[in-house]
Amino acid sequence: MLEIQSLSAAYGKRLALDRVTISVKSGQILAVIGPNGAGKSTLVRAVSGVLPSHTGKIRIGGNDLSSLSPGQRARYMAVVPQARNMPAAFTVYQTVLLGRTPYLGWLGQTSEQDQEHVRIALEQTQLLQLAERRVSELSGGEQQRVLLARALAQDTPVMLLDEPTTHLDLQHQSSLLNLVRKLATEHQLAVLMVLHDLNLAGLYADQVALLVGGRLQALGTPQEVLTEKSLADVYHIPVHVIPLPEYGSPLILPDGRGPL
Amino acid sequence: MRRSSNPILIFLLLAIGLLFSSCKSSGPSAQGPIQVTDKQGQTFSLLAPAQRVVSLAPGNTEILYAIGAGSQVVGRDSYSDYPAEVTAVPDVSGGFGDLNTETIFSLKPDLVLVSELTPPEKVKALQDLKLKVFSLANPTDFEGMYKNMEIVAKLTGHETETSALIEKSRARVAAVLKKIAQTTKHPSVFYELDGTDPNAPWTPGPGTFVATLIDMAGGKNLGDILSSAWAQISLEELISKNPDIILIGDATWGGVTLQSVKERSGWNALGAIKNNAIYTFDDNLVSRPGPRLVDGLEAMAKLLHPELFQ
Amino acid sequence: MHLKTRPYLISFALLLLAFVLSVAIGPVFIPPGILLRVLTGAFPGILVPPGLQETFSTIVFSIRLPHAILILLSGAALAGSGAVYQGVFRNPLADPYIIGVASGAGLGAVIAMAIPWPNSFLGLYAVPVAAFLGATLTIAVVYALARVGSSLPTTTLILAGVAVSAFATSLTSFLMLRSNNELRRAIGWLLGGSVMSGWEPVLAMLPYVTLGLGALLISGHALNVLQFGEEQAQQLGLPTERVKAILILAASLTTAAAVAFTGVIGFIGLIVPHLVRMVWGHDYKRLIPLSIIGGGTALLLADLLARVVIAPQVLPVGIVTALVGAPFFLWVLRHAKNQAYW
Repeated sequence: MLEIQSLSAAYGKRLALDRVTISVKSGQILAVIGPNGAGKSTLVRAVSGVLPSHTGKIRIGGNDLSSLSPGQRARYMAVVPQARNMPAAFTVYQTVLLGRTPYLGWLGQTSEQDQEHVRIALEQTQLLQLAERRVSELSGGEQQRVLLARALAQDTPVMLLDEPTTHLDLQHQSSLLNLVRKLATEHQLAVLMVLHDLNLAGLYADQVALLVGGRLQALGTPQEVLTEKSLADVYHIPVHVIPLPEYGSPLILPDGRGPL
Repeated sequence: MRRSSNPILIFLLLAIGLLFSSCKSSGPSAQGPIQVTDKQGQTFSLLAPAQRVVSLAPGNTEILYAIGAGSQVVGRDSYSDYPAEVTAVPDVSGGFGDLNTETIFSLKPDLVLVSELTPPEKVKALQDLKLKVFSLANPTDFEGMYKNMEIVAKLTGHETETSALIEKSRARVAAVLKKIAQTTKHPSVFYELDGTDPNAPWTPGPGTFVATLIDMAGGKNLGDILSSAWAQISLEELISKNPDIILIGDATWGGVTLQSVKERSGWNALGAIKNNAIYTFDDNLVSRPGPRLVDGLEAMAKLLHPELFQ
Repeated sequence: MHLKTRPYLISFALLLLAFVLSVAIGPVFIPPGILLRVLTGAFPGILVPPGLQETFSTIVFSIRLPHAILILLSGAALAGSGAVYQGVFRNPLADPYIIGVASGAGLGAVIAMAIPWPNSFLGLYAVPVAAFLGATLTIAVVYALARVGSSLPTTTLILAGVAVSAFATSLTSFLMLRSNNELRRAIGWLLGGSVMSGWEPVLAMLPYVTLGLGALLISGHALNVLQFGEEQAQQLGLPTERVKAILILAASLTTAAAVAFTGVIGFIGLIVPHLVRMVWGHDYKRLIPLSIIGGGTALLLADLLARVVIAPQVLPVGIVTALVGAPFFLWVLRHAKNQAYW
């Protein structure tokens, strides 16, 4: 569904992405991992169209995105950013309703259909109870769920998530990612998710892309990509990869007691 | 920007057009027996001498009272304070130099006298209300001031008294000039308008009435070396030019005394301070374009050449 | 909490009240009954002393009514623009003068006042036209300075506005010092208040303000989306740079039109949107129209206060809005419920 072909982007002279090629099928979750500054967030920004210039092709369902206006693009992909600096006075409902923006006119009048999409999104993210609460009154985990609901309401075949589990505790990390997993399957979404936690990447993703210095170092299943050798190279510390056959993905244990 | 600049231009022109299309002519269209011409050459006429005059400049107010039209004044601005009886007349000013249109209108004047200093917006506002507004030009010499007196006299029906008054004034002025002609001494004079910044006091420059008066009174205006009508002169320049006589005009407004001037740092270097040739001067006698200019001339001449006026 | 319901009803009612008071009160006392008769032309039962009918009628229709409408339009323009600026810059301290419109207008006005025009009418109308041109030129310069390719970085825009403002202001001060005769007139203009009277300034201002406010009125939804940041707004499908440019342009021109005719009046554009937010919430679809109505009301009341507080003297409106507006706003902030309203 989502095809990224030879995507390159630069900040001034510095090359942030170097001919990255990734594709994500519907119903599939692809986790993008890598050290800080590897270009993971840049990837999301480039694909979602907020980076001023980049080269390469991005296609969704065969349609080339470069010729689309922001409004049209937003019907193809929704972004779940990190939940911070959210405008305090918005209610949960109002926030999720904004996910319908690509379908609303200049004046923002909503139809019954829009409201139905919002209701479904709230239901699926268990936010119906909190619908009238202000965003500022919610916990970090709840706020992240609100942004997920907003992306859901946007009703797109592709969803991008940028480190959605940062600042979340263990419980909320799992519940959020469980939700993403469920939604991806139910709605046949093609999900590209940037994660910094390697274990979560292994647990929840069908495919893992390892990005280092803007370049795609490895791409494959979690078992294929999350190897001791490749991770130690990338993160510069010894890493133990412990296979857990019943989970389908290994446990990654960094041994940070000393440098390599 | 380009996309939206064209409609903006059109609207700009529209607005200007709108404003200009509604321009009205400045004077009453009816012809009356009393006719005077204003500075722009336009004719202004009244059907009868004005009985309810609102004066919006102190110089014009003094003219009105001097020619005997004081009882016809029904409104004044806040600066009109001479002669004393005018303070009993309602002040139409709203403060901050603002002149209240409503108050002026409610006085139902048949003539509003303004000067060149009256804001044009106010003049137009009054004209829009169908009031008769006449602007007296700023005189540059005594003849100009007499002309204004004659105009006001015609508008208020006091022509006879005014002719006599003008003749007397001419005589007084001639007398002063005759006396001054007797001397070849022309002391240099520094006239201070505003000494708020003692390092750069304001003084009248060339072409102003004050400069003319100083000249007629047998002096030389120090400010003539400056380039504009009202300007600041540096203390250094003042010291280097070292005027013979210093006149403190801003003592009129309070806050400045001869003592306070003498105490200004650096001013003790001036010869006039050492010789005590420093005098306060009633600025109203030289800055208001009215009959008291003659008093001003006489006062100044006496100060500059006391020996001629024993 | 009745105040929170029926926002439009309450806002319009307050506006009407402020408008009626504005027309009813002035240096000349017009008894309420007579005022009613003059305004409506009805009520033959109310006796008007002969001769006064025409006087009062002129005062009401030629002096007070156009003045009240001018003030209303100006207040509406300032508050509407202020609300939009606060939304676009996502900054509660933004006001209509943030990118230098006021300083540019002031410079234009003072230049026009300093020139000795051959025709007095030319000299009269030159001031608002020059003020408007000055404001527009400032917007263009700031825009050109801040633009990077096709985008308009917010911070750069504000900084450019500050720089251009400072330049224009110092130039204005210099000109004011040089033209002694016009000093008082310039100060009066800069302090704010309606300098021109009659219906002509109203008619001249009307097209700009109507057009500008019209554009601002339909910007509510876009501003809501913008509150999540420009990146998220773009990701949600809003053509962010284009929307920003249009909104800033519309708000600036509306402000320029107001300043051109009523001088620099502060605080209305800053405070009215906040007051509206505190009572009726942050939703820009409501905030913009309610700010526009509220701005008209607020400025009418400030103008009224300026005319009566030390009667018969009249204060410049800009002084009243500053002296009254700032402490009033602080008081409201302290007593507002401690919930996020921004």
